[in-house]
Amino acid sequence: MNLNKRILLIALAWIFMAGQVSAHHSTRGIYHDDQVLEIKGTVKEWAFVNPHPYLTIEAADENGVLRNWDVSYGGAAVVHLQRQGYSSETFTPGETIIVHGNPARKEGVYGILIEGGGNHPTREDGTPVVAGGSMF
Amino acid sequence: MKLPSIQLFTLFRIICAAGMLTLSGVSLAASRDIPDLDGLWSFGQCPGGGFLSCMTLEENDPKLTDRALAYQAAIDEMAQPKYDCAPMPIPHMYTDPYNYRLEQLDDRVRIYYGKDDVVRTIWLEGHDHPKPAINEFLYFGHAVGKYENGSLIVTTSKFTFDPQGLNADFRIPSSTQKQVIERFSRDGDDLILEVSTTDPFFLKQPWTFQVRSAPVTDMGDAWTCELDGARRSLRFEVSKYPEDPEVERIKY
Repeated sequence: MNLNKRILLIALAWIFMAGQVSAHHSTRGIYHDDQVLEIKGTVKEWAFVNPHPYLTIEAADENGVLRNWDVSYGGAAVVHLQRQGYSSETFTPGETIIVHGNPARKEGVYGILIEGGGNHPTREDGTPVVAGGSMF
Repeated sequence: MKLPSIQLFTLFRIICAAGMLTLSGVSLAASRDIPDLDGLWSFGQCPGGGFLSCMTLEENDPKLTDRALAYQAAIDEMAQPKYDCAPMPIPHMYTDPYNYRLEQLDDRVRIYYGKDDVVRTIWLEGHDHPKPAINEFLYFGHAVGKYENGSLIVTTSKFTFDPQGLNADFRIPSSTQKQVIERFSRDGDDLILEVSTTDPFFLKQPWTFQVRSAPVTDMGDAWTCELDGARRSLRFEVSKYPEDPEVERIKY
């Protein structure tokens, strides 16, 4: 299977999964649904709180300037992420992780939406940070 | 006065018979009218494996009035109360996948929701509970309940105007004329909840759904909303009214 087909299949699977978990969140329209970005950075903060846990990582922008990126799980709450294996210990400040997601539309802010439908960040060696599973 | 022993015995029998009649009457009434709803219940799921789909009010739902659509178009996302940790309204609360607990007391029923740490009190009829004053409106409304044919029927009105009162995802408000009727009953081990919501300002027809819950043993952790978590995504929102002064939200 060539690379373009793989990217297309991943994109379709992702769209399907995102559709399943998007019933209760308000991130519509603030991220580029049609773009996927990969960023590798250092964990600055992991707040495992309701209504929405958030993760901040430091990573370079397209010009190589270090920025604080806000990694969003969309409408997922603590319980949704717990069901997929997340906890307050999932990320440690200072560790390097890799994130794939939709970049924010707004200029001048750095955010990426990864949702909770299986698109989990990975450790530096490529291992997903959680095993995953249903949010419900 | 001293009664003969035969009369004492007769009196004893009469008292016993009356007591038994009363007890059996209470017992019959309980089994006929008052369902056992007390306990922890899973979030309700739609019939036929529809998960949550039967409950959701869509963004452009045909049930919405023109007034609702105009409001939705005018108000922007960042003005929604949920970014201040305001809880989900009733009945939108049921469309979130969280367990809840029903507690049946003599004169009231309490509902504890796993989402937003919300507790509602249903005031049962016939106990002279005070009504809200004419100028009093409540975020979760004033709920009155009665048992009828094996169901608990709850009628809730006197809601405040709520910018996210019908749906918090799509900016669909509810007016002070919103009324929610919930019917709770049992089907075997399961709990059946039927909900009908009317709002003559924002709904052309009742918004109705029926869901089934199973008994569960875990309510889940306390919700404990954090403002930073609630407001995190706001920095990525683009204001619909860029000429307006920038909103600096109160830090409670």
